[in-house]
Amino acid sequence: MCFKNLPIEFDGGGNARLKGGIRDPYSVSTSRPTVTKTDAEREAEIHRLMAANGHIKDINMDPVTRVAGALAVHVTADLDSGRYLDARSQATLFRGYEVILMGRDPRDAIFVSSRACGVCGGVHAHASAYAIEMAMGLAPPPLGTVVRNMQEAAEMGYDNPLHLYLLAGPDYSESVIKAANPELWPKAEQWACPGQVHHGFKSMADLMTALNPLTGALYKEGLDFTRVSREMFVILAGKYPHPQTVVPGGVSSTVTPQTLNEYQSKLGKLFDYARRMVAVWDDITEFFYEADERYKQVGSRPMNLIDLGFWDDPYSYDATYENCNEWGQKRWSSPGLVLNGELVTTRLTDINIGLEEFVEHSYYEQWAGDRYTDDGLGNPIGPYHPWNKRTLPAPTGKSWKDKYTWACSPRWDRNVVEAGAYARMFNTAMARTLPENDFIEVTGHSMRMHIPKGMTPEMTVEWRVPEVWNAFERNRARAYHYLFSQLVGLNSLMQAYKLFKEGEHRVAAVPPDELDKHIPKDERRGVGFWGAGRGFLIHHLSMDHGKITNYQIDTPSTVNASPRDPWDQPGAYEEAVMNTPIIEDPDPAKFTSIDMLRTIRSFDPCMPCTTHVHTGNDTVVREVNTCACGVD
Amino acid sequence: MVYAGMSAKTPAERLLDLLGPVNQFHDPVELGDFGMPSRAFMEDMLEPVASAGPGSRLGPLEKIHVFWFAGMSCDGCSVAVTGATAPSVEGLVLGAHPGLPRVILHHPVLNMEAGPSYMRPHELAVQGKLDAPYAIVLEGSISDETIAMQTGGYWSGQGEEPWGPNGEMRTVSTDEWIARLSQGAAASIAIGTCATWGGIPAARGNPTGAMSLMDFLGQDYRSAFGVPVVNIPGCAPIGDNFTETVAAVLYFLQGFGPLPEFDELGRPAWLFGETVHRHCVRGAYYEEGTYAAEFGDKECLVEIGCWGPVVNCNITSRGAINHVGGCMNAGGACIGCTMPGFPDKFTPFYKRPPGSMASTGMARMMGSVVRPLRRYSNAHLNREVRWDLQNDTPTGWARERSEPSGLSNFGHRFYDRMRRSGDTGRRRGGEWGKRDEWSDERDSSTERMLPGGVGHHNQ
Repeated sequence: MCFKNLPIEFDGGGNARLKGGIRDPYSVSTSRPTVTKTDAEREAEIHRLMAANGHIKDINMDPVTRVAGALAVHVTADLDSGRYLDARSQATLFRGYEVILMGRDPRDAIFVSSRACGVCGGVHAHASAYAIEMAMGLAPPPLGTVVRNMQEAAEMGYDNPLHLYLLAGPDYSESVIKAANPELWPKAEQWACPGQVHHGFKSMADLMTALNPLTGALYKEGLDFTRVSREMFVILAGKYPHPQTVVPGGVSSTVTPQTLNEYQSKLGKLFDYARRMVAVWDDITEFFYEADERYKQVGSRPMNLIDLGFWDDPYSYDATYENCNEWGQKRWSSPGLVLNGELVTTRLTDINIGLEEFVEHSYYEQWAGDRYTDDGLGNPIGPYHPWNKRTLPAPTGKSWKDKYTWACSPRWDRNVVEAGAYARMFNTAMARTLPENDFIEVTGHSMRMHIPKGMTPEMTVEWRVPEVWNAFERNRARAYHYLFSQLVGLNSLMQAYKLFKEGEHRVAAVPPDELDKHIPKDERRGVGFWGAGRGFLIHHLSMDHGKITNYQIDTPSTVNASPRDPWDQPGAYEEAVMNTPIIEDPDPAKFTSIDMLRTIRSFDPCMPCTTHVHTGNDTVVREVNTCACGVD
Repeated sequence: MVYAGMSAKTPAERLLDLLGPVNQFHDPVELGDFGMPSRAFMEDMLEPVASAGPGSRLGPLEKIHVFWFAGMSCDGCSVAVTGATAPSVEGLVLGAHPGLPRVILHHPVLNMEAGPSYMRPHELAVQGKLDAPYAIVLEGSISDETIAMQTGGYWSGQGEEPWGPNGEMRTVSTDEWIARLSQGAAASIAIGTCATWGGIPAARGNPTGAMSLMDFLGQDYRSAFGVPVVNIPGCAPIGDNFTETVAAVLYFLQGFGPLPEFDELGRPAWLFGETVHRHCVRGAYYEEGTYAAEFGDKECLVEIGCWGPVVNCNITSRGAINHVGGCMNAGGACIGCTMPGFPDKFTPFYKRPPGSMASTGMARMMGSVVRPLRRYSNAHLNREVRWDLQNDTPTGWARERSEPSGLSNFGHRFYDRMRRSGDTGRRRGGEWGKRDEWSDERDSSTERMLPGGVGHHNQ
């Protein structure tokens, strides 16, 4: 592992340090990534084409619907050459959660920060609990961690079908295909689905009809299955979104044999469904590739993926930063960073210290100062790191050259990375650190999953690291992630039974009336390395004198929806749109921009928590950016 | 009385004064199909399955538009509503619920149209050109856009309209849509604690001046149908509380439903009239004076931070989704998320409400008397009559207690006599055809042995 852009090197023991002799090492002009195209060059090209009297269409898609939260995308399309020349992603909402949390009792953070996002409705509460218990030194007992894992597996069980069938699915439905890609319909009628034995649809046209919004069988079934998984979640957490049983140092769920059996009985229904789901998305992907090779370019971008891992080992997780690399690698889903298809690290400290956030194109002022120079273990962090970040919201008019979004630009080692549930598939398949279990195997380039018998027989399916990375592979990998997450739920349930057999029933580190005694008086930091339905989710906090002095949330959609950075590198949505060919009929009167919408929706944008907050009296503002949910 | 700093105008009126009237709209021809076939609005797409005859609607209203806005929201209310089943959102939208008009939902998370195509029906509503009545639903708080406008920006935007100077496109804030559309709306409904009471975005230290829909529209606000703001709180709310309230209003408008009752804060009274404690599955622990001490304990949660006895909510009886879950049902203490005082009147969380000291103390005293009495009766009821007669319990499982003592049996006999007093089955008089040996009543020796019999004693 080495950093390419940041001036950080490692000693023989694997400890990071700043390279010597570099003046102002974190300055944006000192450590620069290689950039292929600047905005000035893009702008010049657009002007050239316009001067040549081309069919250049400027469109502001506000709002982008069927995504969670407030997102707008501005594109400049060249209808003659079928290209998107420019794309700007805009998060259009700010609420200020980080600001609200500042100065509060740390016991408030879990239930307040949970409200950052109601789509990924349980993950913020958990991420916050992780950050707080690290700062307070509270390690959950094994059953507490297992119950968390069970909750979060159930949450993925709701989240993935919600996206695949209610948000993204309609883009591949009969109603849209006939309107936007009529040339595909006769092909769909002729195309026999290889997965018919699993999902029951004879032709692709039948399958597409089932994807129709509200009326299609797959749409309705998807909605119903989100409810089953939410029932599993609320058995343990009381309600969804915004669970009521997450506490610092564990959970407060009352777990009985009835709880476990009800969870298991509902979980048992999901495996038949998972098998249908992977077959549906395998077939959709293959059909489009076969119909037109150019679909492999829709939503394409380099395989640069970031994730923090998910679902802890109940016997390894100890709520310390010192040991986070050890317990991180024992997670059911490995932390990891993939650059150009290669796994470069699985260590949480590497991922943490490489993180930076930039606000050149966001409605915030640049903060100054760097309170911390390392992460507490001696690994260097710079002034743009979330622990040093201060958010100063400054709503202004929109300008592509200046500010145009409430989201900011998180980067890792100054690279544009992408977050998603599918990043878990890459990391886990490639890291090969998966704990031994009965249902999931990894090979280094694939993940094999054994589906237990339900109404349909046992079966093994395999997800392989794809050769291309695009909108279709995102959706396909998300379908496999659904199965993966439910198998983690089953593994966790088995752990819960084992603990019950051992007579272990404790779910939290300390009783509630002792919590206040554990609030430290000195200055502490914490970080919650966690994930959402869209992957990567991190909460950074510091506290002093027993109260929160800084709270920062970075969400997967903040990562993906980010605007340009100081070097004109477009954010993930922006880049993917600019790589998307316009395959639909380019007649300006009929243009729907469906290819761009498929690209954007394949990321499963979730904007509510993508925003930032500030601290009173318009003086100091902090950012609590979180899940891919936009800007607050 | 007007307080200092309180203007006669509502925040909504002040915002509209600043923005001025609008009269220019998107040109649908110029837009083309952009954002999804603009000629095929979702409404038309669903027409073949969603329109119903008068025999299904049971009333005069054929359809109603619902404009859903996410202000400073987390989308959790939308998510909660997709979980509803009584009625479900698909039932409403597909006209598949007898007695209801078809609901044409304009929802950013569910609709097919995007961009300006999506905003088109909103424009028609502003112009008063919509073909049916409409209601507006707000999820999330109202931000104070006048703060952001000072520096030329916005906090919460949805869509661009040619409403800038000289017809320039500008981002339209959610607040502006609400301010413009609330005037002609058949009803303005706030869902979730942000929209009903300000919620977390309005918590102490917030930078945006967040407020509730009621605060924004003012106390004199009445919808086109003459109704003040309807409030369905909860963070997140129970999906069914929302769909049921909407349905109840529509049942009334169709002519067969009773006038739904709302409380003084505009909450549906049948849903929020009780405290959540009254239907709590752990409430009886309170009555017996036993409380959870550790997270995960099964008893009443009041001493680990539960505010249920003073919070209006129905989650313990209705569950969170499909009658499953519920905060205290699962072990979560109530933090008052349905209340106007949320969050700042309930923090720090996980700390017992000071007001519980007095009541738990009294309940403990009562409980110390009631619990032994209940244990005593419970032990008696855990015995077959036969076991009483033979003074032996033939269970192969480890016994927790021995056979009852003479004193104990004396008490049970007394209790059983009280229970059977007035039991008309004990009156004298023969039943036709019933043989004597089948009837305890005929055999005075057995009669004496029965629970509550006159001469019941140990053998």
